[in-house]
Amino acid sequence: MMASLPRRIIKETQRLTHEPVPGISAIPDEQNARYFHVDVMGPSESPFEGGTFKLELFLPEDYPMAPPKVRFMTKIYHPNIDKLGRICLDILKDKWSPALQIRTVLLSIQALLSAPNPDDPLANDVAEQWKVNESHAIETAKAWTRLYAMKS
Amino acid sequence: MSEADADMASQGSDPDDEGLSDSSYQDYSDEDINDYYNYGPDDMEQDDRGQIFDPEAFEYFLFNKEEACQFLDERVAELTQTIQFSPQVSHTIGKVLLQAHQWVLTEVMERFREDSVQLMVDCRILPPPSRAKQVEPPPKQCPVCLQAQEEKDLLSLACNHKFCTDCWQRYFQVQVEDGVATGVECMWSDCRLITTEDFALSILKNSPVTLRRYQQFAFNDYIKGHYQLRWCPGPDCDVIYMAPQPLGRKVQCKKCKTCCCFRCLKDYHVPADCPTIESWLRKCADDSETANYISAHTKDCPKCNICIEKNGGCNHMQCFQCRYDFCWMCLGDWKTHGSEYYECSRYKENPNIANESAQAQAREALKKYLFYFERWENHQKSLKLEEQTFQRIQHRIKEKVMNNMGTWIDWQYLLDAANLLHKCRYTLEYTYPYAYYQEGGPRKKLFEYQQAQLEAEIENLSWKIERAEQTDRGDLENQMDITEKRRLTLLRDFSES
Ligand SMILES: [Zn+2]
Ligand SMILES: [Zn+2]
Ligand SMILES: [Zn+2]
Ligand SMILES: [Zn+2]
Ligand SMILES: [Zn+2]
Ligand SMILES: [Zn+2]
Repeated sequence: MMASLPRRIIKETQRLTHEPVPGISAIPDEQNARYFHVDVMGPSESPFEGGTFKLELFLPEDYPMAPPKVRFMTKIYHPNIDKLGRICLDILKDKWSPALQIRTVLLSIQALLSAPNPDDPLANDVAEQWKVNESHAIETAKAWTRLYAMKS
Repeated sequence: MSEADADMASQGSDPDDEGLSDSSYQDYSDEDINDYYNYGPDDMEQDDRGQIFDPEAFEYFLFNKEEACQFLDERVAELTQTIQFSPQVSHTIGKVLLQAHQWVLTEVMERFREDSVQLMVDCRILPPPSRAKQVEPPPKQCPVCLQAQEEKDLLSLACNHKFCTDCWQRYFQVQVEDGVATGVECMWSDCRLITTEDFALSILKNSPVTLRRYQQFAFNDYIKGHYQLRWCPGPDCDVIYMAPQPLGRKVQCKKCKTCCCFRCLKDYHVPADCPTIESWLRKCADDSETANYISAHTKDCPKCNICIEKNGGCNHMQCFQCRYDFCWMCLGDWKTHGSEYYECSRYKENPNIANESAQAQAREALKKYLFYFERWENHQKSLKLEEQTFQRIQHRIKEKVMNNMGTWIDWQYLLDAANLLHKCRYTLEYTYPYAYYQEGGPRKKLFEYQQAQLEAEIENLSWKIERAEQTDRGDLENQMDITEKRRLTLLRDFSES
C-alpha cells in the first residue's frame, strides 16, 4: 500500500511527523495512508480555547490536483462549520492550488477558529446568532467546547 | 426534409459542413408550408410602396463551427496586425486579451494604446509589477510533486512559478475534466495568471484526448464570451448565430428551426426588451401559485349564464344559446370593442394609491399583475388554439384541392392569413409584459391606444379566419393588411432601436 503512494504524500507525511505544526497533530491511518486522524487545539483567546477538536482528512486520488477532504468529527458551534462538520473554507474549494499542502490547510482551519466569518456562513442559524448577538454566540461556542471538546 | 438538408445537398459539400455560411434570414425562398411564424420583411414591400422602415429588420448569419473558428481567428489577426509595436502580441495572447473584453476589438486596442503593461496585468498575462520584482531562487524541486528536477524541466508562466511538466499535465487533465479551459490558472496558490492556449498545447501535446476536450471547451468559452456570437439554444444544435449588432431581435436557426431573441436567447419578445422579459418571466414563475386560479377554459355567458367553453383562439365570443356577442377577456359587450375602445386591455390604476395603507397597496399591486398576466396567458392560449385552426384549414384545403375545387395556389391566402394572425397575436402577447412595466404618462397612453387597436384588429382577423368559408377573400386580405400595419406601427413606435 505505502509503495504505491506518490512521493509527495510520503514527503508531506514525513514532515508532518518530524516538524509538526504547533497545536495540530495529523497521524496517518495504519490501514490507509491517505486518511489522517487530526487533532486541532482550540486557539488561545478564542471561544474554542482549551478544547481538542477531532477532524478527519482524506487525500483523494487526484490529490494534490484536487483539494483534500476535511471534516470536523467533534461537534463545534461555529458559523463556517455545519452540523455535519463540513467546513466553509475557500482553499478547500475553488481557491485550492496544488502548491498548497496538508500543513497549510490545517493552519487555515486553525485560523478559521480564531476568526469566524459570519458573512460567509455554512451554518446559517449560527451565523445569524453570531451577527445578531455576538457575545451570546461566543458563550454558546464556549459551552459547546466544554461539553464536546474537553475530556472530563 | 429540412432546409438545412436541402442546402447541404445542393452544395454537394462535405456532409459535416452545414453549409450555413451564406444563409442569412432574408432567404425564405423555399419556405416550408408547415413553417409557422415566418414572415420575412419582404411582405411589407407588398403593403407599402417605396422606402419603409422595418422595425424588425435584423442582420445576422448562421455559422457552423469551422466558420465560427475562422471568424474568431480573423478577429485575433486583426488585433495582432494592428498593434505591431512593442510588446509584441502573439496570436495566443491576442485571444486572451479579446476574451477578457467580450471580443470588442476597439476596446482592446484603445486600452493597449493607453497602457499596454496594465492591460497585460489586468488580463492576467503579466504579474502585477509589485510581484514581478520578487526574485526567487530557482527551485531545486517541483513544489507540487516535491521531486528534484533540473531547471530545464521546470515550466512557468510569466510569473516564474515553476512546476514540472508531469504536474502541469496532471493539473490540466483535472481542470479539463471539470470543464475549465480558458480559465486554467497558474498552479501557485494566490497567483492568478492564466495559461494561454499555446501553453496548454505544449503541455498536452502527448495527451491527444485531453487536448481535444480542452480545445472544445476553449472554443465554447470563446463563443459564450463573444458579444456578436451565440450558440443556437435548440436541443443538441451546434449552429452559431452571428449578429454584427447584437440586439434583442428575432433569429431563427435553419437547422433545428429554433426561433428566439438573439441577445437573451429566450422566446422572441418585442416590443418588450430583454431585461423586461427576464423580470416578467421570473415574476410569472414566482407567482405561479397566485395566478393559477384565473386559468379558465369555461366561463358563463354574461347574458343568459349558460356555460361556454372556449375552443378557438378568437376572443370575440358568441353565445350558442342567446347569440350574445361578448369579449372572453372582460365579458363586456363586443359591440363596444371598437378599435378606439381600450377599456379592455388597459389597466386602470387607483390614482390615490400612494395614500392608501400598505395592505391596500399590496392588494392593488397583485390586482395589477393579475390583470396583465391574465391577458398575457390568454393570448398564449389563443395562439395554441389558433394552431389547431391552422391544422384544420390545411386539412380543408387538402380536401378542396383533391375535389378539384381550386389549386394549392388558390387557397394559399388562407394559410398566409393564419400565419399572419399568429405573428400578430404573438406580438400582442408580448405587449402585456411591456405595458406592465411601462411608467404612466403620455407615452403609455399612446401605447395603450395602439395596443387596443391592434387587439381589436387581431380579433377581427381571427373571427374571419374561423369563418373562412363564409368570408370573402378580398375582405380577409384587407383585414390582414390592416392588422399587420397596426402591428408594425406599434413596433416602430415602441420597440427599442
Ligand atoms: Zn512536479
Ligand atoms: Zn504563477
Ligand atoms: Zn439550431
Ligand atoms: Zn431578448
Ligand atoms: Zn348566452
Ligand atoms: Zn374585452
